[in-house]
Amino acid sequence: MTLEIIVLVKQVPDSQEVVIDPVTMNLNRSLTRNVTNRADENALEAALQIKDRTDAHVTVVSMGPPQAETTMIECLARGADRAILASDRFFGGADTYPTGLTLAATIKAIGKFDIIFAGEETSDSSTGHVGPGVAEFLDIDQITYASKVEYEDGFVTAERELEDGTEVVKVPTPVLVTVLLNSNVPRRQTLRRKIDAIRQGFESWDHDKVGLQPEWVGVRGSPTIVRKMRPIKEKERAAKKVDIAGIPDLVKELYQKGVIKVESE
Amino acid sequence: MNKVAGIKFAAPVADLNEYKNVFVFLETREDKLMRPALEMIGVGKRMAEKVNEKLVCVLLGGDIKDQAKEAVSYGCDIVLGAESPVLSTYRTLPYSHIIADFVRQEKPNIFLIPATRNGRDLASRIAVSCQAGVTADCTELDIEQDTRILSANRPTYGESMLAEILCRKHRPQMATARPGIFPVPEKIKAHKGEIRIKEVTVDKSMLKKEVLEFRKKEVVDLTAAKVVVSGGMGLGKPQGFKLIGDLASELDGVVGATRPAVDMGWITRDHQVGQTGQTVRPRLYLAVGISGKIQHIMGMKNSETIISVNTDPNAEITKYSDYVITEDLYKAVPVLLEEIKKLKKSPPPLAQEASSTPAQ
Ligand SMILES: Cc1cc2nc3c(=O)[nH]c(=O)nc-3n(C[C@H](O)[C@H](O)[C@H](O)COP(=O)(O)OP(=O)(O)OC[C@H]3O[C@@H](n4cnc5c(N)ncnc54)[C@H](O)[C@@H]3O)c2cc1C
Ligand SMILES: Nc1ncnc2c1ncn2[C@@H]1O[C@H](COP(=O)(O)O)[C@@H](O)[C@H]1O
Repeated sequence: MTLEIIVLVKQVPDSQEVVIDPVTMNLNRSLTRNVTNRADENALEAALQIKDRTDAHVTVVSMGPPQAETTMIECLARGADRAILASDRFFGGADTYPTGLTLAATIKAIGKFDIIFAGEETSDSSTGHVGPGVAEFLDIDQITYASKVEYEDGFVTAERELEDGTEVVKVPTPVLVTVLLNSNVPRRQTLRRKIDAIRQGFESWDHDKVGLQPEWVGVRGSPTIVRKMRPIKEKERAAKKVDIAGIPDLVKELYQKGVIKVESE
Repeated sequence: MNKVAGIKFAAPVADLNEYKNVFVFLETREDKLMRPALEMIGVGKRMAEKVNEKLVCVLLGGDIKDQAKEAVSYGCDIVLGAESPVLSTYRTLPYSHIIADFVRQEKPNIFLIPATRNGRDLASRIAVSCQAGVTADCTELDIEQDTRILSANRPTYGESMLAEILCRKHRPQMATARPGIFPVPEKIKAHKGEIRIKEVTVDKSMLKKEVLEFRKKEVVDLTAAKVVVSGGMGLGKPQGFKLIGDLASELDGVVGATRPAVDMGWITRDHQVGQTGQTVRPRLYLAVGISGKIQHIMGMKNSETIISVNTDPNAEITKYSDYVITEDLYKAVPVLLEEIKKLKKSPPPLAQEASSTPAQ
């Protein structure tokens, strides 16, 4: 029986070149390039590695605006079998609750699933809450912050990296797994596959197709709102230049200022 | 109608006044309270007092009576506990179900959970289960006195902005709070609290996740360190951390690292500083061979004094540094080390003004 794997991927602004509009204090999206969230590439790779060894079918699911198309095609070109973009103006402005809800409803509309992969967090919202939210909506177990994910005979075994150690867990499917950034090396898209991917194309689903009412999703379905944004004031630092010859004086200065102490504390 | 095929949308609550008190989740490992648990008590207590409500600590585990008392000594008014041998290890399903039931029974106005890995594993499950709003990874939290609205503030856009997020119509108002930001409160000797621990039986269906093993690692608590010496990719090789370690121990400090250095396997993950590592604010932070990408900066920028060693004078770390040593680290760090050794051997007298900094 074919193992049905879903991978949640999001398109995000490239964190290396985030541009903030100095007037509105919002992200200037027109100047920022969009890329696939890096941890989601690791999530897709984890799915494809299972597919390398098992009879599996991999569907990527995303909620986002039409320009997320490039991410959809990229995932197909890396080896996904199907790509669905939940895209609708009503989905815009969602916090983690309706995001999870929309993704979960999309997965339900797809039908069968055994493993759902997500990234540990996105670089733009960085909550790490969406994956577990989806699992709660679907009422299934989860493994978060996973590296080394393996599947065998209806069970997923993974290592969870916690602050104070590594936990090894084994969970029967269906299960949602969030994958750590850099926990594997995502395969490249080949040109051949890229051409096939463009030819194959992705599916775009609106709220009706997903089976949700407009008032449940997007900004209207979000319990939280952003009241205001303010720039974080950074402490001004002098960046005083010191060369090798200046190090002895630097050490003395730090000692005089109490920054370096000679006695144990 | 608020369900589609078992999926509930976030329905606002009818009567906001029904919701009272501040809940915090006490994270444990093998039934011991972890530092972020104490941080939650501190920040939760401040908010509860501001609106004359109670601080309620949620504690699950195998044997938690002593930990409940400990929580009270830190300022907790009520401990809501659930005890069962199967709860001594955190698992998503039993924890989220038990706690969501507590929330439905007790109707807290606010619920804070540490933004640790298990805290995040748990928080949005509870939020979805209780149709509540949750704000992730907050670094500033406050409550408005008259409205009892939680002001949840989180850094965004690569830490350049702080977003204030509110949840007006849904309850509880949930937030996960970044570890290492909120101070651990002082113990209050005479503080009295009510401890309500019930024994629970956990349904087998919740226990399908098997925890096969927990490989505990020596944890360096970077958050409490007075001096942190961190190394990055500029070290070029794993052995570079030997030099970093020497400098750190000479300064009575601990070793930190950037994420790629950790990913390379040069050093273990518990040394990582930054967005996905620990947040530190030592008296002295030395950034050696570190470019200063925002994800690293957010974990160390509140350090009192920052010194960077980098061959590139235009590296981003420069603008976050009080002192910049533009040199090859393999030349500069040995000199630093030598000078500190010399200083310790024969410390010069402290100048008058400087001694106003009290010795710790
Ligand atoms: C979602 C996400 C989360 C992340 N979380 C974290 C996190 O928690 N912590 C973190 O640190 N990073 C994190 N990162 C990674 C971060 O973006 C940067 O890639 C990382 O901080 C860079 O590490 P680095 O400074 O060691 O390496 P590089 O950026 O490669 O910098 C190396 C520096 O060393 C200098 N150098 C080279 N040789 C020498 C020499 N001989 N002497 C002196 N200087 C030299 C170079 O000039 C350069 O500036 C995260 C990234 C993402 C996408
Ligand atoms: N709009 C979205 N579409 C698809 N997947 C998403 C979306 N938002 C978040 N995710 C998934 O959830 C993970 C955690 O995201 P976040 O909670 O935003 O940090 C991401 O790595 C994705 O796998």
